[in-house]
Amino acid sequence: MTAVALGLRLGRWGIAGFSVLAFVSSLIQAVGFYQLAGHTPAQRAAFAQSMTQLASQLTLILPPPTRLDTVGGYVEWRSFGGLAILFAVWALVSASGAARGDEERGLVESVLAGGLPRFAWIAARVTGFAAASFVAALASGLGLVAGAATGGESVGPGPILEVAVGLAALGLSCYSLTILMAQLTSARIATAAAGAVLLTLFLGNTLSRTFTWLASWRWLSPFHYYELNHPLASGGTFEGRATLTMVGIALLAAAAAAVLFESRDLGSAFLRWPARHRPVSYEPSLSLVWRIAVVRGLYERRVGLAMWAAGLAAVGGLFVSLTKTVIQPLLSIPALTHFFGGFVGGQLYTSFLGYFWLSFAQLLVAGFAIAQVASWSAEDSDGRLELMLSTPISRAAIVVERALVLALGALAVAAISEVAVLITSHYQAMDVSAQKVTEASLLLVPFALVFAAAGSVLAAWNPRAAVGLLGAFAFASYLVDEVSPIFKWPTWVQDFSAFKLFGMPLSSGIDRGGLAIMVAIILVGFGASILLMERRDVGA
Amino acid sequence: MKLEVAQLHSPTMLREMAVAAIRTNKLSKNYGLGRGLFDLDLEVSPREVFGYLGPNGAGKTTTIRCLMGLIRPTGGAAHIFGLDCRRDSVAVKRKVGYLPGDIPQFGSLRGKEVVAYLAGMRGGADPKTVRSIAERFDLDLDRRFREYSTGNKRKLGILLAFMHQPELLILDEPTSGLDPLNQQEFYALLREARDGGAAAFLSSHILSEVEHICDRVGILRAGRLVNVAQLEDLHHIRAHRVELEFAPGTPVPESAIRSAAGVENVTADGQRVSCTVRGSFAPLFEAIRSAKVTDLVSTEPSLEEIFLSYYSETAPSPKALPQ
Repeated sequence: MTAVALGLRLGRWGIAGFSVLAFVSSLIQAVGFYQLAGHTPAQRAAFAQSMTQLASQLTLILPPPTRLDTVGGYVEWRSFGGLAILFAVWALVSASGAARGDEERGLVESVLAGGLPRFAWIAARVTGFAAASFVAALASGLGLVAGAATGGESVGPGPILEVAVGLAALGLSCYSLTILMAQLTSARIATAAAGAVLLTLFLGNTLSRTFTWLASWRWLSPFHYYELNHPLASGGTFEGRATLTMVGIALLAAAAAAVLFESRDLGSAFLRWPARHRPVSYEPSLSLVWRIAVVRGLYERRVGLAMWAAGLAAVGGLFVSLTKTVIQPLLSIPALTHFFGGFVGGQLYTSFLGYFWLSFAQLLVAGFAIAQVASWSAEDSDGRLELMLSTPISRAAIVVERALVLALGALAVAAISEVAVLITSHYQAMDVSAQKVTEASLLLVPFALVFAAAGSVLAAWNPRAAVGLLGAFAFASYLVDEVSPIFKWPTWVQDFSAFKLFGMPLSSGIDRGGLAIMVAIILVGFGASILLMERRDVGA
Repeated sequence: MKLEVAQLHSPTMLREMAVAAIRTNKLSKNYGLGRGLFDLDLEVSPREVFGYLGPNGAGKTTTIRCLMGLIRPTGGAAHIFGLDCRRDSVAVKRKVGYLPGDIPQFGSLRGKEVVAYLAGMRGGADPKTVRSIAERFDLDLDRRFREYSTGNKRKLGILLAFMHQPELLILDEPTSGLDPLNQQEFYALLREARDGGAAAFLSSHILSEVEHICDRVGILRAGRLVNVAQLEDLHHIRAHRVELEFAPGTPVPESAIRSAAGVENVTADGQRVSCTVRGSFAPLFEAIRSAKVTDLVSTEPSLEEIFLSYYSETAPSPKALPQ
């Protein structure tokens, strides 16, 4: 019980943050439903029909919807569909931290030295996350209740409990699978390996809706079982068997993780290359890369950068290869043909990629920036910043070097994904403007720097809370861009969103005003973080 | 030779010799609730090894972080070779080698990469010096940081502090985690650095350690400098707890032990006697000279215990050390 409490305490900021995010997400979608769908049954039926057509083309990310004419069905699709991804990411980060991060910090060693068996430690962490994810999932349900109340409707406790159980079960299965992967691999690649497994399970399920040959494998994916639940839609059902399957996956993975944990040494992976005999070396590295500012930062992060670039390039190529499949059915709808014709000025595929691919790329690049900020916070909490500041380098220089490393890293990631998009579109015989794709890809660099600037301020102010707060900032930024048109918020409010400032560079060209605001935010953000860094205590 | 004398007496050199390696003036860092560092006045000369003693939480690390410009003092000032530790922190760090109390995490970087990384930030370090120190401590630089034991991490920290041959070494509990052989190697390395012209400021809570290597010591308690003393003055506060066992059936010279100079807290239980010896052991040995001792165990109490016995924790001001 003490170990469960310890796990909950270690993850308290995650529980609080994700509960708030889940609540706000459902609340906004529910309130937005009443703004968009109208109030008469006829209006809502028309809304549902148009949204269903659009939703059928978004199945790469979101599950197929049901009953979009009801607030429950709409929120289930718009909010709980996206929350599945969010909970998977939360589970990934929490589980890899619990399995290997806490081990690196010596926490696991201390706990085990206190007499707790290894399997009990795994059980405690899994139980703790089960409770945490249920609380956050319940918060999401409560967001729907609050949002529905604004439209004069009510949602019963049964469906709320059912949807929360389903979401928590998905999060739990992702958590246990990550714990399992973390036993197999070294701490260095545990998060990446588990992330690759979860991404494969997610894409395996979503792509099976397009590529039928994948359908026979979807039973492996917990995301498939999650989508079988539709407790919020009128006439929807709660699939108890599907939920139990997700819990079963979680228990099986946790049990396997416990067995592997019993069999491996602390600090080592279960799967290891045999150690090579090599002579002791007293020689320092003479490589030039460590001597040149910025280059040393890029070199140290080379594995991470390569993975981000490969991931972004793979997803970009995938989006391009799906574009024709998605766009042809849309063009068969007369109203949309007229819309596309007027909106894109002939550059149909370029504009379509701009909307779907770049929206997704923005999320990934924001994630890249947050990951870099997390490494800055880790430098602080691990004591590395203290040692860096014992060298004749000023605090301002450290902030500037971090910014440049991030900018060049983002540039490399964006450039490689751009090449992947252009090559794939060439092989797909799609008429895509290379110049516009290049401009849009370059725009991802200041976009990443906006998040980095905010993260730099937060890391200088309070490094422990920086990642959580930056995640909340990114989510708020995304929400502002999403809901501003619905609620008709003024332009200056929308300009708080980096996603809005990025604009639609492939269809509308670069928004120079937005770019200028981004540059201003970057300069002010990094300037402020230099001032904060100069004044703060390090290592205290 | 003439050139060397001329260099030695050049205005720059004379000025360097005149300024203290470390000088603090009413240096304070108040964390509230009586915690922190208060009104520290301290001076460490060039070529001096200064030991900074105090129990846990006394403010040793806070002092070191103020000197390194890592934390902002709430009052007073600190200077290293005449340079302000906050305002001129970059120039200060060119002259300083720093070993933190906790060695930071460098994850999967190899030892040689950590060395190259921090040497690169310093503008370089002599590979010969690095190799020499690594060899002395038998530190394999090809291994990853996360594979290092606690002792090896500490050795790497020592290497990072010494690799650029700094004019001043600031070392926070440098031998913590080192085995006795490597402790001796560290003492030798520090002596060589001093002989080469460097000054050192090292914190410790091990009395015998500072006796080995320091010229002077400062004693800190509850954030305040209790005293600064020469090394020989330490003998007055240094104490050993001694357990004696006499042969069965032989007389126990209890009264002689009680009356021996520097022997305190004597308790007798059958053939066993325990006492505290302050200063020289000679009076105790004289007292037991005619007795048949079968066992003698002497242990050095921790600094906390010495503080508790020498300084009254409840007294408003501690007894002054003999000068």
